[in-house]
Amino acid sequence: MSAEAVLLRARGNPSGRTLEAYLGAGGYEGLRKALARVPEAVVKEVSDSELRGRGGAGFPTGRKWSFVPKDHPGPRYLICNADESEPGTFKDRELIECDPHMVIEGIAIACWAIGAHTAYIYIRGEFVRWARILEQALDEARARGLVGRSILGSPFDLDIWVHRGAGAYICGEETALIESLEGKRGFPRLKPPFPAVVGVFGKPTVVNNVETLACVPHIMTRGAAWFASIGRSRNTGPKLYCVSGHVNRPGVYELPLGVTFREIIEQHGGGIRNGGKLKAFFPGGSSAPIMTAGDVDVRADFDGCAEAGTMLGSGGVIVFDESVDIVAAAANLAHFYAHESCGQCTPCREGADWCMDILDRMLDGHGRSADPDTLLRICRFASEGMTICPLGDAFALPISSMVTKFRDEFERRISTASPRPQKKLPALPWAGQRPGFGD
Amino acid sequence: MPRLTIDGHEVEVAAGTNLIEAARAAGIEIPYFCYHPYLSVVGQCRICLVEVVGQPRLVIACATPASDGMVVKSESSARVKEAREAVMEFLLANHPLDCPVCDQAGECLLQDHSTSEQGARFASHMVETRRTFPGYERRLLGPHIIQNQNRCIYCSRCIRFTREISETGQLTYTSRANHAFIDTFNGTPFDDPFSGCAADVCPVGALTIKEFRFRKRAWRLRSTASVCPGCSIGCSVFIDHHERIVYRLTPRGNAAINATWLCDYGRFLAETLNDQSHLHPRHRVEGKPVRLSWGDALRMFADELRSARTLRVVASANLSNEELFLTRELFGRHLRGEIVVPVHQGQQRRMKNGRGEWLHSTDAHPNSGGARRLGLDIVGEEALARFLYGAADLTVILDPDAHPFLATAEALRLVKVGLSIACMRSEHPIVHAASLMLPVPTLACNEGTFTSSTGTVQRFDMAFPPPGETRPLWIVLVALARELGIATLNLAGPAEVFDLMAGNEKAFAGLSWEDLAGTRVPSRLEQQHVG
Repeated sequence: MSAEAVLLRARGNPSGRTLEAYLGAGGYEGLRKALARVPEAVVKEVSDSELRGRGGAGFPTGRKWSFVPKDHPGPRYLICNADESEPGTFKDRELIECDPHMVIEGIAIACWAIGAHTAYIYIRGEFVRWARILEQALDEARARGLVGRSILGSPFDLDIWVHRGAGAYICGEETALIESLEGKRGFPRLKPPFPAVVGVFGKPTVVNNVETLACVPHIMTRGAAWFASIGRSRNTGPKLYCVSGHVNRPGVYELPLGVTFREIIEQHGGGIRNGGKLKAFFPGGSSAPIMTAGDVDVRADFDGCAEAGTMLGSGGVIVFDESVDIVAAAANLAHFYAHESCGQCTPCREGADWCMDILDRMLDGHGRSADPDTLLRICRFASEGMTICPLGDAFALPISSMVTKFRDEFERRISTASPRPQKKLPALPWAGQRPGFGD
Repeated sequence: MPRLTIDGHEVEVAAGTNLIEAARAAGIEIPYFCYHPYLSVVGQCRICLVEVVGQPRLVIACATPASDGMVVKSESSARVKEAREAVMEFLLANHPLDCPVCDQAGECLLQDHSTSEQGARFASHMVETRRTFPGYERRLLGPHIIQNQNRCIYCSRCIRFTREISETGQLTYTSRANHAFIDTFNGTPFDDPFSGCAADVCPVGALTIKEFRFRKRAWRLRSTASVCPGCSIGCSVFIDHHERIVYRLTPRGNAAINATWLCDYGRFLAETLNDQSHLHPRHRVEGKPVRLSWGDALRMFADELRSARTLRVVASANLSNEELFLTRELFGRHLRGEIVVPVHQGQQRRMKNGRGEWLHSTDAHPNSGGARRLGLDIVGEEALARFLYGAADLTVILDPDAHPFLATAEALRLVKVGLSIACMRSEHPIVHAASLMLPVPTLACNEGTFTSSTGTVQRFDMAFPPPGETRPLWIVLVALARELGIATLNLAGPAEVFDLMAGNEKAFAGLSWEDLAGTRVPSRLEQQHVG
């Protein structure tokens, strides 16, 4: 287990994000090494490192790159997904703020590996400052010949563009992001075909998360074996954990994959605020099934979370202390997803809205005994392949896990509910005057 | 050619066929709302979920191509049934279920599916208030389309129609999620020349056609296969009628010509098919029209023909092939008259066929192609005027609507020079020039064939018998031939005329009346109206 900061090494250094500082720390060495090798070797190196996508799904990055057809005649593209909108996730913003060149170098290496000459950084619209940081960094890199024509004297050309999104959560989904980048409405596409075959502008495209790409330069400089030595098998490398909620020290922490949530929350997050007790936590953003206080010893990596019936997702650990009302938290989430559902698929569009209505009604004190089962039914039929993209699962899994794991709280809400005041219909004007009315 | 099994039925389909079409080939209906055979596949409604043995998750039939050895379970899978019921519950959660006052009722996919599949078992868990769009219940989206957003199920068929078929891209979603609604960009009117089709493809009553709304319940209508009389493209249509009134024209599936589309111009010609003001044969006595019997009228007509030294006939490209053939045989071959077929260019219209190619009209008549094939003299406005300038004893006008020139004062003056006989349907200035007026019915009360400008010969059927004493022109011509004692034209119906024509004319050789039947009856309402 390395305690050394890899991804966030420039954090705390006010001038750390300049090209000078980055070069001083051995920056762009990975790109130089990558350009000296054939693209297949770069893909193999990344595959060997067992790097898995940090965006949420944890798909092996090397494998993703290898899906791009080798014999495709036209252009292909790389997209850096910086549309970080998952509630409780703020690692990409931190990375871009501290070390934008690390991301740019990662993009350049990935482009060399897949044979792309154009890359897009699709950045969340609200990240105005970070889009500017990236633009500045790109200007510096262009001025030094690190981006543009004949990079580092090699015949490799690459242009990188920063594209700001318009603020839709769904555009973090790779195919919706592609649609949005093409200038269309952010609707996820039907898969197959996968973006690696038919992506942006109909060309093979790889979409990688910011953090994933930031890992790539280190794999190139220090080797796959070094990277694989961090963490455990199939769950390798450093990971940024975003700790938020009721902890004493919320923030982004770089830790090797495979630490336990107990270590993240207690040691790094500084424990629960005001000396309180942990009630529950989201292991990887709000779209992952919730975990209870009893689950803190689960390893915070892809396989550890999967074994525990949840997912690491983006690594956004949202901590709830005893003061949290789970029903209110569920309602809060439901509002978010009902607002952010793109509206294409029936189960997600109608289901998220319906969940929101039920939870709001429960909060208003008008819960019904059938509500928990109705919620579970909605969630069941909005997830597991019932929708085009995983947004259906994204709202269904946390809400159903909250209902299952904290059912007693929901029951309590319902048992203390006041019956809905009966609406009395206004009396008809002729009531009592005609037989059959009013008597 | 993949062979697959669907609910125990084995079927072989062309490569690339999706499971909905494969199931249809096997005689199994997989429900769908957003899928449309001529639009791109989006997989949004999720009702077509099926189980493919060996795959852990249910898949959508619209986006899954059939592959060899696939075993698909639709009705036979409990999981599928359960999932479809859930999708239906989601769809109906915010649907107003106002079928009794909805104009789409009777031809609504959502209603059909919920009554046939769910039946009385359906019960929603929903107790919440429905999401509504105040102010969007009766919104005039364009000149012909009324939107009720509350009923929309977000299938996006209308949006895809304007993007992929009519290519105007006028419709879009505004807003997101459950509060999204169908809208035009910047609120401009939805004046797409194919706007009626957007309502056709709408599986529910969210988009309805203003002209048809609340005029007749869909299940009362009878559909008769016909051909659009609007231009030379010759789109296949159904005449929807009830109790001898035509209510609307709807597209009839024909991949070669109009796929399942119909332009607004053609669609709204429906009203002209009710336009019948001449119901009795009349002749002019001292300047005033007087009714007479058909027997007298034909005798008078025959006498005039016998006594006329010079005869000129203005035929029409709106007449059927049979009528044009009889015209040529009777007036041309036997009576040595001069025949012209005026053709009016009109506005150019276009239509997209099943392969996505645009077809363009050559003129404003449904049968100019037939007139050309029969070797008749096609004339434009100038030539028609020149033809009418030449004096003749007798002028016969078979269709006053043959050319707009016939409605001008100049034409009236020219026709008045000799004696003239006209076949009349509706009010027309030429009536003032005619000494004998014979009533003929509209396309809805006739049968025969048209030849489109693409060369396709299509049959149209009689929707209802001719009103009053009107008689289709082919009957008039055959009766006239009998009156004149021409034995070869003693024919009993358009089928016999067609067979005689097919036997004599190279252009129609090899065709038979029976084979031209095409899609006569909609196999089901849904196929008729949305493909």
